[in-house]
Amino acid sequence: MNRSSVEFHANLAADEVALGERERVAGAMRAFTREIGALSALRLESCVHCGMCADACHFYIATEDPQYTPVLKVEPFKQAFKREAGAFAPFFRWFALKRRVTADELERWQHLLFDSCNMCGRCSLICPMGIDVAELIEQARRGLFEAGLAPKELYEKAAHQRRTGQPEASSEPYRDRLLAIGWQFKVEMPLDKPQAEVMLTVPRTDIEHYPAAVAALARVMAHLKADCTFRSDGLIAENYGYYAGGRDWQREISLRLIDQALACKAKVLIVPECGHAYSALRWEAAELIGKPLPFKVRHVTEFLAEALADGRLKLRSADLGVTAFHDPCQLVRKGGVTSAPRQLLHAMGVKPRETTRHVGFNVCCGGGGGVLDIERAAPLRYRVVEEKFHEIDGTGARTFLTSCSDCRRTFDDGKQRFNWQQTPRSLLELVAEHLQGG
Amino acid sequence: MARLELEPTIGELLDRQGVSRRSFFKYCTAMASLLALPPLAARAMAEQLLAARRPSVIYLSFQECTGCLESLTRSFAPTIENLIFNVVSLDYDDTLMAAAGAQAEQAREQAMRANYGKYLLVVDGAVPTGDGGVYHCAAGRTGLDILATCAKGAAAIVCVGTCASFGGLPSADPNPTDARAISTLVPGKPVVNVSGCPPIPEVIAGTLLQYVTSGRVPDLDEHLRPTVFFGNSIHDRCYRRPFYDQGKFAKTFDDAGARNGWCLYELGCKGPTTYNACATVKWNNAVSFPIQSGHPCLGCAEPDFWDHGSFYSPIPSPRWGKAGEVSPAQAGAIAAGAAVAGAAIGVGSVLLGRRRIARRQQEPKSQSDKGNEE
Amino acid sequence: MDLVDFARGPALKVAFVIFFIGVVWRLVNVLLLHHRRNLSEPRRGVAESVFGGLKAMGSRSWPHPEFIKRTITGEALGYSYHIGLFIVILLFAPHIIFFGSFIGVRWPALPNGVVTIFAVITVTLFVAVLFRRLAHPVLRRLSNFDDFFSWFVVALLLVTGLMATAHVGAPYPTILGLHILSFDLLLIWYPFGKLMHAFYIFPTRAVDGYLLTRKGAPS
Repeated sequence: MNRSSVEFHANLAADEVALGERERVAGAMRAFTREIGALSALRLESCVHCGMCADACHFYIATEDPQYTPVLKVEPFKQAFKREAGAFAPFFRWFALKRRVTADELERWQHLLFDSCNMCGRCSLICPMGIDVAELIEQARRGLFEAGLAPKELYEKAAHQRRTGQPEASSEPYRDRLLAIGWQFKVEMPLDKPQAEVMLTVPRTDIEHYPAAVAALARVMAHLKADCTFRSDGLIAENYGYYAGGRDWQREISLRLIDQALACKAKVLIVPECGHAYSALRWEAAELIGKPLPFKVRHVTEFLAEALADGRLKLRSADLGVTAFHDPCQLVRKGGVTSAPRQLLHAMGVKPRETTRHVGFNVCCGGGGGVLDIERAAPLRYRVVEEKFHEIDGTGARTFLTSCSDCRRTFDDGKQRFNWQQTPRSLLELVAEHLQGG
Repeated sequence: MARLELEPTIGELLDRQGVSRRSFFKYCTAMASLLALPPLAARAMAEQLLAARRPSVIYLSFQECTGCLESLTRSFAPTIENLIFNVVSLDYDDTLMAAAGAQAEQAREQAMRANYGKYLLVVDGAVPTGDGGVYHCAAGRTGLDILATCAKGAAAIVCVGTCASFGGLPSADPNPTDARAISTLVPGKPVVNVSGCPPIPEVIAGTLLQYVTSGRVPDLDEHLRPTVFFGNSIHDRCYRRPFYDQGKFAKTFDDAGARNGWCLYELGCKGPTTYNACATVKWNNAVSFPIQSGHPCLGCAEPDFWDHGSFYSPIPSPRWGKAGEVSPAQAGAIAAGAAVAGAAIGVGSVLLGRRRIARRQQEPKSQSDKGNEE
Repeated sequence: MDLVDFARGPALKVAFVIFFIGVVWRLVNVLLLHHRRNLSEPRRGVAESVFGGLKAMGSRSWPHPEFIKRTITGEALGYSYHIGLFIVILLFAPHIIFFGSFIGVRWPALPNGVVTIFAVITVTLFVAVLFRRLAHPVLRRLSNFDDFFSWFVVALLLVTGLMATAHVGAPYPTILGLHILSFDLLLIWYPFGKLMHAFYIFPTRAVDGYLLTRKGAPS
């Protein structure tokens, strides 16, 4: 077989390498067809190949490489749909109007579906037909996962998280790390209370890289005198099953948190500063487990904005100079958390100077959706974040804030590479520093 | 042949009949302009004609209404029909000739023998070919037979009228006698169609004259009609064309548009698809033509004009089935029927698709799920 | 039966039937696939979300200002040829008679000269659209048979229409027959290709607007 991409090596986890082509295709088709429904069919049918989604995609804008056209990333899923369950599926098969999905193709698409997409949803906003391209990509990722083609880093972390609750092994369990952070920052970490109104979670990124943010969460909650707790068995907010495209894994990882929330009879589950965790829990978990969640899911900024509104939270004004705020894609564009961060900023007397494209239209950091974890994606990611830096520099801001630890991590990573002058800061940390009477 | 040499020239004949040169030149000028020849050509044409000897003409009538002959002979300008019969030697025409029966047939046979290979055959009417051609018989012979006999020695055949040219009314659906156009029955013979129901007399005369002066078949369009008369559509030469271009249409025969002389396109005018000289040569000595009198063109000079649906149905109207246009109710019913069929097929295809989806779910799970076994 | 009668008679009838069968078939096939339930807690109520859906049907007609700079060429081309097609198809007197006989009403036409000018402009734009599709790296990459054939079918219709108006190529009845035949071809191709977007555009936008509003996200 003359494979055009013979030099291409899929980025595979050890236990996925041995899969045969037939198994890969069968797995992909199993997942693709499972994702076919009226909604995805409507979206797949509607595309007129206008190419505008490319103009929304930061990966295309940064590289001008047409392979990064968002809707093109969905091609294998589209092929599966047209050949299996489209209105004219038999014709598509008999006359090969759409090619059969091949293992070779799936391998090549790994780069397009994982390395070069944050599922940030900007393409969904530009589409004149109203196609939610990002959601199609999410569905297509599930096909690649079943084909054994989830990138090694995501696959391994997802497997680990599914097994142990945390995405990777650590010298000490994250539960102990959490307590250590409490001691270090001199803040009490409520842990494993049998019953609490509010259940807290943390991003693994914060535990690993930004312990101050973890402390800030505990400090703010303590200030609000919230009846809250972390749970050892449901601590980590991220969902690597979601990143890797493992639908069942995503469900199981979400279930771990849901079970803990049920166990402590929580009324609210707080998603910390992590965007994709919000998407996974706020919007997708109920569908995956097949019933509505008996508690509310709130992003920490939403929770704080509510407290601000009813007077429980009072903030001192902060002297930050010109400040820019980066809207995390999953929270804003895909999650609808648009006003909460700005309400908090206003309460501290900060009026952010907006980037040219902001709120729903903000350009993504380039690291979300698991891209930050994929080593191979780094060069591409840097090109994207470089664009982003120019945009932020354009505001003339002295302080740069965001409310997603993955965005923050992506910026920090880029900062080192490009010697960027800014230091991304956490909105939550800022709030914790400006508690009135705190 | 010797006999032909003795035939007087057209000039001698005209002199004999007291036709003045002046009126002859006037006639030639008119004809030349009709044939779109330059003014100088009129003189040359006159001189050619005066010196020419009249060709023998055999005029056959088959399934026809004699309207074409009426058109020719009752034309307003007597000079035309007089002259046309002066420039040809009409040796046989069973309608016009005084002789009848065996005498008439004898005249025809004699003329054919004397002018074999040179006479002009003018045909009026379609020839029925069904049941051996029995639907038209004269002098004990079928039309088919007569046509075959007469066509054999003809130099060319001029079909006068839409019936002879294209089958016309006799061949209209369902065409019970299997009437056919002459051109389909005389393989290998040059045929000139002068269509129209009836044709414009000036066009018949002009075509014959053109043949007499040049001795050649004129330039023809794809329907074998002389392009000089049939090169433009009625629509292109219609004085109401500006109204069409401005989108001003009479909607009924009695509305303001009709009274203002607006375009009759919406009333079914076939001017755009009809090629004839009505809009320029006009009728009754250039007095008027149908559109000028407020009636849409019927398209009578075109093949199968009887079968294009109602004369009052506009050209772009869909024409479904023999009844003609489609009514909204009918279109709706067909659309609804098709939609129901489409829905049924859609349901079927969804079931098939869902079955394929279900079958895909049965595919053995790959290693990627071995984690589940832990 | 001549070409025109064939084109506007049996061929049109068959095309008309195929069109309706195909369109409904394709729509039903989408509609009856598995519907998933939205079980997450909505941020906005049903009424507001439905309104958001209705709003998106219109608002997606123009890109958000953030995007315009990059998409203006595509937008301008797309808009102009769609407007051109609208004028040429629906405001030309013979077309009004044609479509009118299906639905029983006629509406005012534009003067032919104006329509002809628009037709010429639209054909020019069509050439530009094709050129762009071949030249633009993203579009070239995305394009498949459907894109080119759908273009061809509509372009054929425009060109034969203009030829009929200008009396070029063949006698008017022949060109008219080809023109109507190319419309029949359009009807037959319609349900199978991207031309179907005319049926999908508003439902897709509405669903998207509804779902995004439900989440409180911008749409």
